[in-house]
Amino acid sequence: MVITIDNTNVEVLEGETLLEVARRAGYTIPSLCYAKGARHKSSCMVCAVKNCSTGQIIPSCTTTPVGGMQIETDSEEVRLVRTLSLELLLSDHRADCEAPCTLVCPQGLDIERMLGYYDADRKKEAYDTLAAAFSLPEIACDNCKAPCEKACRRGTVDEPVSIRVIIREVAGMADAESAAMEMSFPKPDKKAFLSRLGRFTEKERTFLKVNIHSASNCLHCACSGRGDCKLRYYSTLQGIKRSRYEASSALPAMTKIHIVGNLWYEQAKCIRCGLCVYNSENGFTFRDRGFGMQVVLPEENRKNIKEELAELCPTGALYRI
Amino acid sequence: MACNCENNIVEANEEMIAKVDAIIDRIGTSRQIIIPLLQALQHEFSYLPSAALEHIYERTEIDRAQLISVSTFYSQFRHIPYGKHLIKVCTGTACHVKGAGNVYDSFRRELKMEGDNITSDDQLFSIEKIACLGCCTLAPVVQIDEKIYGHVQPGKVNEVIEDFLGFQNKTEKEETKNKLRKIAGEIRLGMGSCCQASGSSDIYKELQKASGELGIDVNIKPVGCVGVCNKVPLIDVVHADGSITRYPNVKAVEIKEILHYHFKPSGYLKRLKNSFFNQVDTFHTDSTWDNVIWKPENERTGVIDSFLSGQKHISTQGFGFLAPLNIDEYISYSGFDALKKVLFTSSTTETINTILKSGIRGRGGGGFTTGKKWEIVAASGKKDKYVICNGDEGDPGAFMDRMMLESYPFRVIEGMIIAGYAVGANKGIFYIRAEYPLAVVRIRRALEMCREHNLVGENIAGSDFSFDITIFEGAGAFVCGEETALIASIEGERGFPKQRPPFPAVAGLHGLPTLVNNVETLSQISYIVNNGADYYRQIGTPSSKGTKVFALAGKIRHGGLIEVPMGITLNQIIEDIGGGLEHGEKLKAVQIGGPSGGCIPAHLCDVEVDFDAFNQMGAMMGSGGLVVLSESDCMVDMARYFLSFTCDQSCGKCTFCRVGIRRMLDILDKICSGRAEMADLDKLEQLALNIKKASLCGLGKTAPNPVLTTLKYFREEYEAHVNGICKTGTCKEMVKYVVTEQCIGCTRCAKACPVDAIPYTPYEVHTIDVSKCVLCGLCVNECNYDAIRKVPLKAN
Repeated sequence: MVITIDNTNVEVLEGETLLEVARRAGYTIPSLCYAKGARHKSSCMVCAVKNCSTGQIIPSCTTTPVGGMQIETDSEEVRLVRTLSLELLLSDHRADCEAPCTLVCPQGLDIERMLGYYDADRKKEAYDTLAAAFSLPEIACDNCKAPCEKACRRGTVDEPVSIRVIIREVAGMADAESAAMEMSFPKPDKKAFLSRLGRFTEKERTFLKVNIHSASNCLHCACSGRGDCKLRYYSTLQGIKRSRYEASSALPAMTKIHIVGNLWYEQAKCIRCGLCVYNSENGFTFRDRGFGMQVVLPEENRKNIKEELAELCPTGALYRI
Repeated sequence: MACNCENNIVEANEEMIAKVDAIIDRIGTSRQIIIPLLQALQHEFSYLPSAALEHIYERTEIDRAQLISVSTFYSQFRHIPYGKHLIKVCTGTACHVKGAGNVYDSFRRELKMEGDNITSDDQLFSIEKIACLGCCTLAPVVQIDEKIYGHVQPGKVNEVIEDFLGFQNKTEKEETKNKLRKIAGEIRLGMGSCCQASGSSDIYKELQKASGELGIDVNIKPVGCVGVCNKVPLIDVVHADGSITRYPNVKAVEIKEILHYHFKPSGYLKRLKNSFFNQVDTFHTDSTWDNVIWKPENERTGVIDSFLSGQKHISTQGFGFLAPLNIDEYISYSGFDALKKVLFTSSTTETINTILKSGIRGRGGGGFTTGKKWEIVAASGKKDKYVICNGDEGDPGAFMDRMMLESYPFRVIEGMIIAGYAVGANKGIFYIRAEYPLAVVRIRRALEMCREHNLVGENIAGSDFSFDITIFEGAGAFVCGEETALIASIEGERGFPKQRPPFPAVAGLHGLPTLVNNVETLSQISYIVNNGADYYRQIGTPSSKGTKVFALAGKIRHGGLIEVPMGITLNQIIEDIGGGLEHGEKLKAVQIGGPSGGCIPAHLCDVEVDFDAFNQMGAMMGSGGLVVLSESDCMVDMARYFLSFTCDQSCGKCTFCRVGIRRMLDILDKICSGRAEMADLDKLEQLALNIKKASLCGLGKTAPNPVLTTLKYFREEYEAHVNGICKTGTCKEMVKYVVTEQCIGCTRCAKACPVDAIPYTPYEVHTIDVSKCVLCGLCVNECNYDAIRKVPLKAN
């Protein structure tokens, strides 16, 4: 069977979906809620293409090609649909890609990463992170007005993290220093799309104040899944700066639950694609409907989840650390 | 996080477990029976106790993930116990334009429910909004348990509650037995849900009682919906010679008089006694002064005659005289003739050709040619096929399917069996919306009768065709009107629509070819078969054939259910059938097709009723709600109303519908509160167009229609809102109430105000504290001097 994609004839193999045909033929079609080999139902509409035979916009990930179909993958109309679907998802995605403190540090120190090691009591890595940005033993904070502490989200909950105090403490770790090596850490990609959490609600503030007590007091705003986040990747690719819609969400921000082993789940980052629901047995499930629909994991079902499920999640909602 | 059971910690006890076991034994243990199972549980316990659910996990294939997924999707299921009585405030379109929002707020204030609480502190009442009770002509309507109150005013909710509690305490008098001797005549009384809502059950009881007391032996016959919903209770007195005298809006106190006027009691002594008492009654009770019989004939029935004159009854054939559950009567009016005709004289292909040739299109909304759908299903060689009758009518403001299921169950069943025969199916399912208990009861009983008459089951009517029909009760989700979502819900899943193709006609329920037809479509089939395709084709327009049933409501003088031939214009419906707008207001627009349809402005109302004509205007036939809007209705508010409905009913699967509609609603909220900019209108339009384009199912594809049509025809109203003016004063955040010089300081408004926004200042001109005022309008109703006005916050 042959179909036309962007005016070129393409052969369709048995059992292929439109997305698979197009990708095999070298066309780039973004997609979030599709994962090869996994059960999925189209939801995100990021893989939209136009079927010129019917004039309809269709999700390529679940469409079975029909002989003679004429598909358009890169017209202005299609691009707008994709951009809007990403922007709509982003307007319901109350999470930071990068931590605000890291973004503002004039020295380019990945503060959140350092605090992460600090909280995990991995002093050596904490020191190395610091060493990668500062020319130790000199501490660049001395003449700095500390925008990091002003930007710190913890400050909107109660008190900002005492970043400078911790930096000095880490810098003073003599035994760690001896082992210091030239290490490179991935720098935050400032060209990439940046999702912003916005303001906490009163309820979230109370929740965070009561529940988050790490050694540094850091909330760890940076997204643990940002490295392979498809939402971010495609938003960057589509040239999205920020969503044109006012953000609001029915999901509480920054509630991270531990599932099993190294697997964690942060609901606010979920785009409700349902991959984790369809691909777990009595595990994740949908709750409620419409805008308020959530993907939840009942406590009793945590044991039914395998860590590999994190690979399917297109965002940083389900992640391994 | 297990489920919504925070307040649901009830110890499992043996009694409860025994009950749950009994339910499981009765219904089954497979995954796909989850909805009937939960319905049975809720029926038993009035909610879903978590202990009972734990037992379900142990005993059935249903696991926690499925249960949470399904039970939180359908709005019927409750995870927390409710109060003793449930108040349902109808927020259907007709009720909305008549102020249902204020009624809801008033109930909450009256019962002191604060915050998110929906149950009063004494656990006596719970309250919820409901999409439509189907009593649009009595708007605003409230149902408390089984009792329905029409025309509820926000200021009178305390009276409603008192009345209800009084009604609860009253012990019903023993019904007088209706002895059947010589029948003097017949009295027909409409007993559809809406008739019952306006008190026809009371009238029915009164008729039985009075006929017993007076010794008048009449045949009291409850018939189906009479359509003239704002004239009910309506009774027809049928004389021995067959002539009919019709009494609209009868009151219980008038029954004796009517009976007495028309019929003579059987015994001489009783006759004498009655005539004496009747005299005494006439002279001594106030209630008989306004004597119904003395009203001139045309005043009694003139309105109804003109209401009925422009109509054509196909789906509603037998209108006003056919008893819903009398199979012999249905048969005597050539019922099931069509079925026998196809079974014995027509091949399946011939049957399909008849339907194709008739040109009938699906009445569910999309308008797909019915015959084509039949052809596709018939083309499959599979041995097992299904026919589903889609009775999941969920549009606020549409209740024609309910009426047909309640009033003409046999006609719908007949249509379904013919369809089954034509496409080669062996199983039929009635999918009936949860809110239609009477329809379920009637269809169930009608199916039993059909079985007794060998019209359903093995070898129907002695032919070699076998077809069995079951009933599936929906659980409250508008999206399940979409056929793939409907099928998912029968399979025990959330009502998520699937991408088509494959169409259900090819792979539907359990992967088998499935014909899904709307109730109204099926109810037209027997007529087509009986009268032939050519005859049927003569009715209607070139592209739309036959008749269409509409629920006419809103600011119309005579609302109700009407069946009109396609091709009639909207103006004809409004003027000739509906008698024009109420209170002499001016027509502004007609909202057609509910949340999937659009608003057609007054100057275009000479459009003919036709699928394609409506589509071209951006509206849609939809399921057939027809709400008349006057100059005092705000079109932006109307758009927002429908969008908040679809937003609430979106299944949540796809981005554009789940998030997109929410964002449209955000923008509309901004517009209605005067915080928007002109650029927001373009943003709204862009989003609406793309949601229409990129949504996967019918719900999302049509949800922007109310916004797009109002933007198209009433853009200046949107612009006025951006400038801070809502001319009609509907948008609460743009108006305030002020007291004018006419005020004499009588304090009535101060006493009426539920939130103490008007200080008690006798003999002084009253003032209104804008910060406290909730704009409920009670003070305006209360004022005898027309001294309180609604004015825009911003000067024009």
